Amino acid sequence: MTIETHSSSQPSAALPMPERISVRDLRFYYGESLALKNINLPLYDRKVTAFIGPSGCGKSTLLRVLNRMYDLYPGQRAEGEVLLDGENILQPGIDLNLLRSRVGMVFQKPTPFPMTIYDNIAFGVRLYENISKADMDVRVEEALSKAALWKEVKDKLNASGLSLSGGQQQRLCIARTVAIKPEVILFDEPCSALDPISTAKIEELIDELKSEYTIAIVTHNMQQAARVSEHTAFMYLGDLIEFNETSNIFTTPKDQRTQDYITGRFG
Amino acid sequence: MTDMAMTSHAASGASAERAAVLQKLRGRDTLFYWMTRIAAISVLGLLGAIMISLVIGAWPAISTYGLSFITTVRWAPNAMPTPVLGGLSPLIGTLITSIVALLIAVPVGLGIAIFLTELCPPRLMRPISIAIEMLAGIPSIIYGMWGFFVLGPFLAERGLGGNLSLLNASLILAIMVLPFITAISRDVFATVPPVLKEAAYGVGCTTWEVVRNVVVPYTRVGIIGGVMLALGRALGETMAVTFVVGNSFRLPSSLFSPGTTISAAIASEFAESADLHQSALILLGLLLFVLTFAVLTIARLMLMRLEKQKGA
Amino acid sequence: MSKTANALYAGRKRTNIIAMTLCYAATIFGLMWLTLILASLLINGIPGLSLAIFFENTPPPNAQGGGLANAIVGSLMLTTLGVGIGAPVGILAGTYMAEYGRYERITSVIRFINDILLSAPSIIIGLFIYTLVVLPMGQFSGIAGALALAVIVIPVVVRTTEDMLMLVPNPLREAASALGMPRSLVIKQVAYRAARAGIITGVLLAVARVSGETAPLLFTVLSNQFWSLDITQPLANLPVTINNFINNPDPNWKKLAWTGALIITFAVLSLNIGARALSKSSQSK
Repeated sequence: MTIETHSSSQPSAALPMPERISVRDLRFYYGESLALKNINLPLYDRKVTAFIGPSGCGKSTLLRVLNRMYDLYPGQRAEGEVLLDGENILQPGIDLNLLRSRVGMVFQKPTPFPMTIYDNIAFGVRLYENISKADMDVRVEEALSKAALWKEVKDKLNASGLSLSGGQQQRLCIARTVAIKPEVILFDEPCSALDPISTAKIEELIDELKSEYTIAIVTHNMQQAARVSEHTAFMYLGDLIEFNETSNIFTTPKDQRTQDYITGRFG
Repeated sequence: MTDMAMTSHAASGASAERAAVLQKLRGRDTLFYWMTRIAAISVLGLLGAIMISLVIGAWPAISTYGLSFITTVRWAPNAMPTPVLGGLSPLIGTLITSIVALLIAVPVGLGIAIFLTELCPPRLMRPISIAIEMLAGIPSIIYGMWGFFVLGPFLAERGLGGNLSLLNASLILAIMVLPFITAISRDVFATVPPVLKEAAYGVGCTTWEVVRNVVVPYTRVGIIGGVMLALGRALGETMAVTFVVGNSFRLPSSLFSPGTTISAAIASEFAESADLHQSALILLGLLLFVLTFAVLTIARLMLMRLEKQKGA
Repeated sequence: MSKTANALYAGRKRTNIIAMTLCYAATIFGLMWLTLILASLLINGIPGLSLAIFFENTPPPNAQGGGLANAIVGSLMLTTLGVGIGAPVGILAGTYMAEYGRYERITSVIRFINDILLSAPSIIIGLFIYTLVVLPMGQFSGIAGALALAVIVIPVVVRTTEDMLMLVPNPLREAASALGMPRSLVIKQVAYRAARAGIITGVLLAVARVSGETAPLLFTVLSNQFWSLDITQPLANLPVTINNFINNPDPNWKKLAWTGALIITFAVLSLNIGARALSKSSQSK
């Protein structure tokens, strides 16, 4: 397992990049079986980090540790440390709801709530803030604009969220997530259920979002990882095989397995 | 560096506000959890309470009559000094009417289920299914009325027993449980993988042969489970039976004679009963409850085995 | 084909035709009963239908005229009260089983017991409430009747609520949790909303079920000849009234009994069809 924080060809002029999330010695168990083996990696502040690897390598599992989504199911547990701004989110006593309001998640299949488009966005905001209708209107517009959906839905905010197309639904889910102003956004294969045009729109979106949010994206599409991320982690069978700047991973991978995966020998 | 410090500072400000909001919600969150939990546990409590109340109410009769209750026929609540009360007649009546009802309803129900799954034109399947299920929706007192005013005289005219008889009761029960058997059989028949049936048709089997050799064996457990559920229903049915069974505590000599069932006995005598008489009626109720509990448990276990078999 | 094969085949064909004919016959047999019963209801019940049914109280025996007003109102009260008590308990219990307690051992035990209660003879429930409520109270009452109905409602609603909530896909819940939503709000504002039609259908089916129940009312609420809205006293209700009327040779009472039966059946079947329509329309969305 190799970690490098600077590309070897550039002089390290800037300060070391701040880590929003630091994963330290993470082990994850489904019941008795070990699914993640001693993962150590950083998620840099306001950068996009991609996770690639063949099916079953643990990338989604890792993502779901970062907002402790696994906590909803008995028999799943994590050991080690995951530091969000220095605080270990794996320790008992952490307010999970608060954590999830800071670390948002967009899922593989678009999951709009069975409500109007407006309410889909307002739903999360209402939980934390008591604001007037006028202010809420502003927040909804803000969130939908950030998700590049505003123009398409501004005249039908009262339509059901389920009446949108797949790509639009996914952008609605993204809008819903950014509406509550998280610090980190986790994307779990967000485009695998979408057509290429919607996919392109969402990749553009991620590019804009990274100026405000720290982003982690799991994808089985290597070209997508290459397009959107600054850093990439390659995982295989529960291990972190290699972590590097994206350009390095794809041009000069250090591990044979990484090389085999990106050249399509397996996966 | 400063960048990050500022961000995390702003973040913690907003976080603190949110933490406060979430903290306030925690109380209501826990309350909801406990409300649902208590409601769920109370389902268990309900069963326990029913059993306990039945046992307590039946205790005087249990201690007075003991096991002879099940073997004595005579039912004389007004005998002196102690009433002579035996539950054999209601017990036999319950068993006979239920079993005869099933003997009629099971073949008919299976026949209808076969019709619906194999023979019925697709457009008619839903309406006919719904019509049969309507039979299940008709309140049992209506069945009782119908049996009393219509079926009874009909049977009497043809010399098939009197107006009130075990036969009348059995027929009414048969019609009542028919929709259950039909619905459950139809549902389990539909779970047979089409490839199995196609394989049989493919070698030239007739419809009947496919049903007999593929469908029924495959769904055997489900059908038996359904039959037992129907049995449980028949055993406990009250209003449909009370009007037509005749309420006679004498041992029936044939299906054509009047008789009584446990639920009919309770229904007709409870309101004016007292003391030992009432306790004996409750004891009958306890016996019925134990009987239906046993039958329903066996049915559930069989249906659960079917689920496991499918899931495997 | 050889001669024996021919003969065999003919035999098999014959068996098939006999069997299939029997199946057709079975279906006609079943439908015939339905038709006969509904026909009897209509033939005997419609003549008695008049406005008086809804505005006059039950008459004394061997009188003329009268109606079923007090019985109808009493039944409405009992059903409303019974469902009002039983449905919330059932929904909450079903919620626990499908949400918080989904993976717990005790949930499968509760499900099992619930299914037993679902098919328990309703007269036993009448006995239960008699011992629990009527004896301590010293009298029959509307409350006792409502409680008996509630005990019947609970298992029905538990079952349908749990089934409907289990159909709500987990990603939807996860999406709400991912926003930081506390568990109870995930359930109340997302899961309930998604399963709403199904849960309502379950309640409607429970209403249909108890509307026709007589046995549990026989010795809990009894009945009342007169107009009364007092639930601490015996309350008039359709099923027990019909029961009393039938047990008496008075022809006027018999006429009213059939009309009452028609009203109950109509209400129950409409509720069943309504529940069905509701669940179908929500599925096609």
